[in-house]
Amino acid sequence: MTTVVRLDNVRKEYGDTTALAGVSLEVRSGEAVAVMGPSGCGKSTLLNMIAGLDRPTSGSVHVHDEDLGRLNETKLALFRRHRIGMIFQFFNLLDDLPALDNVALAAQLTGSRVDTARQRALELLDELGIADRRNVYPAALSGGERQRVAVARALMNRPGLLLADEPTGALDSRAGEQVMDLLLDLNQIGQTLVIVTHDERLATRCASRVVSLADGRVAGERALERA
Amino acid sequence: MSAVWRAARAGVRRRRVQTFVIGLVVLLSTTTIVVALALLAATSAPFERSFARQAGPHAIAVFDPAVVSPDQWAGLASPGVAAAAGPFSAVTLQPAERVGPGPRGPVTVVGRADPGGPVDRLDLWQGRWPAAPGEIVLNEPVHELFQDPGTITLDGTAYTIVGRAHALSGSADAWMTPAQVTALGPDAVQMLYRFTGDVSTTTAVEARLADATAGLPTGALEAAQPYQVVRDRIAADVAVYVPFLGSFGVLGLVVGIVIVGNVVSGAVVSGYRHIGILKALGFTPRQVVAVYLLMVSVPAAVGCLLGTAAGSFAAQPLLRDGFQGMGLDPGVGVDVWSLLAGLVGVPATVVLAALVPALRAHRLSAAEAISAGSAPRLGRATRVQHRLAGLRVPRAVSLGLGLPFARPGRTAFTVVAVLLGVTTVTFATGLTDTLVRVSAIEERSDGQVAVQPSNGLIRLTPDGVPPPAGPPVTTSRTDAEVSDLLRGLPSAARVAALYRLPVTAVGQTEALDVNFMRGDYATMGLADELTAGRWMAGPGETVVPSELMRERGLALGDRITLRLGGAQRDLTVVGTLMDGPNGPPGILADWAVLDGLDPGRVVPPHEVRYQVQLVDGGDVAAYVRAVQAADPGLDAWDTAQVSDMLLTLVGFSSTLALLLSAVAALGVFNTVMLNVRERRRDLGTLKSIGMTPRQVVTMVLASTLVVGVAGGVLGIPLGMLAHRVIMPATAGASQVALPAAVLSVWQLPTLVLLALAGVVIALLGALVPARGAARLTIASVLHNE
Repeated sequence: MTTVVRLDNVRKEYGDTTALAGVSLEVRSGEAVAVMGPSGCGKSTLLNMIAGLDRPTSGSVHVHDEDLGRLNETKLALFRRHRIGMIFQFFNLLDDLPALDNVALAAQLTGSRVDTARQRALELLDELGIADRRNVYPAALSGGERQRVAVARALMNRPGLLLADEPTGALDSRAGEQVMDLLLDLNQIGQTLVIVTHDERLATRCASRVVSLADGRVAGERALERA
Repeated sequence: MSAVWRAARAGVRRRRVQTFVIGLVVLLSTTTIVVALALLAATSAPFERSFARQAGPHAIAVFDPAVVSPDQWAGLASPGVAAAAGPFSAVTLQPAERVGPGPRGPVTVVGRADPGGPVDRLDLWQGRWPAAPGEIVLNEPVHELFQDPGTITLDGTAYTIVGRAHALSGSADAWMTPAQVTALGPDAVQMLYRFTGDVSTTTAVEARLADATAGLPTGALEAAQPYQVVRDRIAADVAVYVPFLGSFGVLGLVVGIVIVGNVVSGAVVSGYRHIGILKALGFTPRQVVAVYLLMVSVPAAVGCLLGTAAGSFAAQPLLRDGFQGMGLDPGVGVDVWSLLAGLVGVPATVVLAALVPALRAHRLSAAEAISAGSAPRLGRATRVQHRLAGLRVPRAVSLGLGLPFARPGRTAFTVVAVLLGVTTVTFATGLTDTLVRVSAIEERSDGQVAVQPSNGLIRLTPDGVPPPAGPPVTTSRTDAEVSDLLRGLPSAARVAALYRLPVTAVGQTEALDVNFMRGDYATMGLADELTAGRWMAGPGETVVPSELMRERGLALGDRITLRLGGAQRDLTVVGTLMDGPNGPPGILADWAVLDGLDPGRVVPPHEVRYQVQLVDGGDVAAYVRAVQAADPGLDAWDTAQVSDMLLTLVGFSSTLALLLSAVAALGVFNTVMLNVRERRRDLGTLKSIGMTPRQVVTMVLASTLVVGVAGGVLGIPLGMLAHRVIMPATAGASQVALPAAVLSVWQLPTLVLLALAGVVIALLGALVPARGAARLTIASVLHNE
């Protein structure tokens, strides 16, 4: 299996605060890695580094053999557009676009024609079971539906790596279960996943490996046998 | 320190950019408002204000000193007289022929001990008051153009000019000490009166003067001048500027208020989330309102103070340029009400603009306030975005085009600001174009070179150019020989001769000035001045300046019968001119008419003015030198010079258009900044899914494109309308009509450029916040959410 993500001694400091204190980590293709740890241990910062949303103070981040530290803002944007899919705890959907256009947006930014983008978005919404909600605005969707829309958007450009930041954190247990199933299904068809979560159930259900963080360092790793 | 103050201070510190923008917007708006109000105030009864400031006399009465004794003044009853000054002895002296500016013709010198007093308080704007024999102060409005000689010769005696003062009333041409005037043998005694009660009409003033002088012997009052004489003369001069200054003033006022309202209310609306948090912390609704009023008041107060000072400073040159030389300076300045408007009115507008949304926040619960501050409104904006999503344009553009609909109120205010900016730019462009066209027509019709044979007494030069040294010589050539000389010099293409002569017109109470013209005058550009009718087809026809048409009640097709000596000639009015040749308005007639009326008349060359147009590329300076070399008795000069009025009006319009455009751009800047702040989460999301910095900038700029295009599309017709209404009104105030050609200034390229003005204003205002949006750090934005 090829290495999709490689972090070498990554440090991130915000003023006097150290969020990451020398993290080294590898994620291989097809893996589902859960990053766990207490609040403030640096989980989200780690995810931001992999997604190219933030830059390390020192160390290097390679994703798909791309050294993110060498990319300017435009190239980072293009990297995110083509290589990364992001799922957020609070969905981060655009409130003034209906579900279909929220999903299609990711492809339209690449220059896809509107009808092509909408067709692909509709297929994804259909696969995720919410095609009938395509013209509904986020405010009128349930939490689970919003997160499915967010997942569809993340998958729109067929990314090699899917990153999820507390994807079930804002959902009730039933919706959380649905999202877990969805992520599991995705991984089982070969989608590489990095999930940041507090949720042990999510980790054990979806991840093949758990990386524990504490005080900005990797405190441990364990492989999981999935049911 | 109270919690309110602490929270407000923290808010100001936290929102440094917004605080700065509020301060800057209020500063620029206050500057605009103070300038606008000062212009409006200056154009509103400027004479009355200056006259009141000088305590100008409602009547100047001149008495015969031989009839009225000093005892009679002392015992004179004064019914209806509020204040009086005098009696002042006056003497009329003859000046020597002067070179350059200064009094020509008889000079009325009044003996006054000082320039103050209850009536006719003079502005001694240069030097000092006469204190000894041989000293004199001249009555001149404030000016900077000329450096007069230090002496003036009157009745053969040289007097030292020790100062210059200005009496708006025109009560004297010069002043000396009373003893000096007494020594010169006064020929009149002057009294200056201010009356109580109605002085609105000449009749009323004359009636009050009659009451005031009823106790004097019959025949004592030699002459009297009611103040309306001076007022009407000045009103005609000022009226030229009133429509311009008034329109710019109103535009400035509206733009200033709209922008301040938009920026301040936007600041409060964008702070709803913060308001909700304050409420959740235990701040009472009243305290929350106080926090926000304080937060906007601090930068606004600084902006108001600096803006009032800047406005006062900026208005001075505009007012001085507009009114200098009209006799109103230095009374024309920024009035106290304009300053008060800046210092009190603008802060009140700021507080009001902040109060309305703050009171809405006052009524909201903490939770509602928090969600109102972060959740975009659904409804029309979502429908617009959905439709735009289907457009075949880059997604960043279609997303941007939909953004203005999320805050329709804020967008509407911004559109209005851009609209008014474009209106101003359009009006200023049209105004400049029209004035340049008028100037070009006048220059063409005056010829490139003017030639005037000297009369042996004075030399003629263009405005502002000192005459040559040495006594003038006269030409030995006849009128016809001068024409031949000018036509024969190198580069001469067309030569016309113009002889102005008052001629009796049958059926008219006053003689008509007739410009008899000879040579190539028909092809030298006067025809471009036609505002109605057509050019003369033969000697039996005339064209008449519009001012004269109005004064004499003439119409196209009327016949004018000129009578000179025993002969008569009929002329048919076939056209109306803008203002005709230089000088007092006179009808145009071919020289053949003069020959017919008075065949034996010998016209002295110094009474003829010659106009010369050169071949294309002809060297005007070389031609002028050639004329002077050929005949030193001929004064010749280049007529090309930009008029003071043209410079002043173009200066006004350019300055104000620039100022209002800057304010409008700042309004856009603020709107975009607020929109970006409110959409930080969306921007972070878009960037997280791959929107590049360039796409972010494109999206934000596209959002202002709607504002710019709407402002441009609506502002251009408004500006054109203002131009169409105000230009003829201004011309009418100057007693002239304008040719259609000078009003038809709108060509497609100009309109396209003006339409771009709205877009440019909007894009300039949006560029900085757009770049800021592109630089947002995604992680921090999404983390903070």
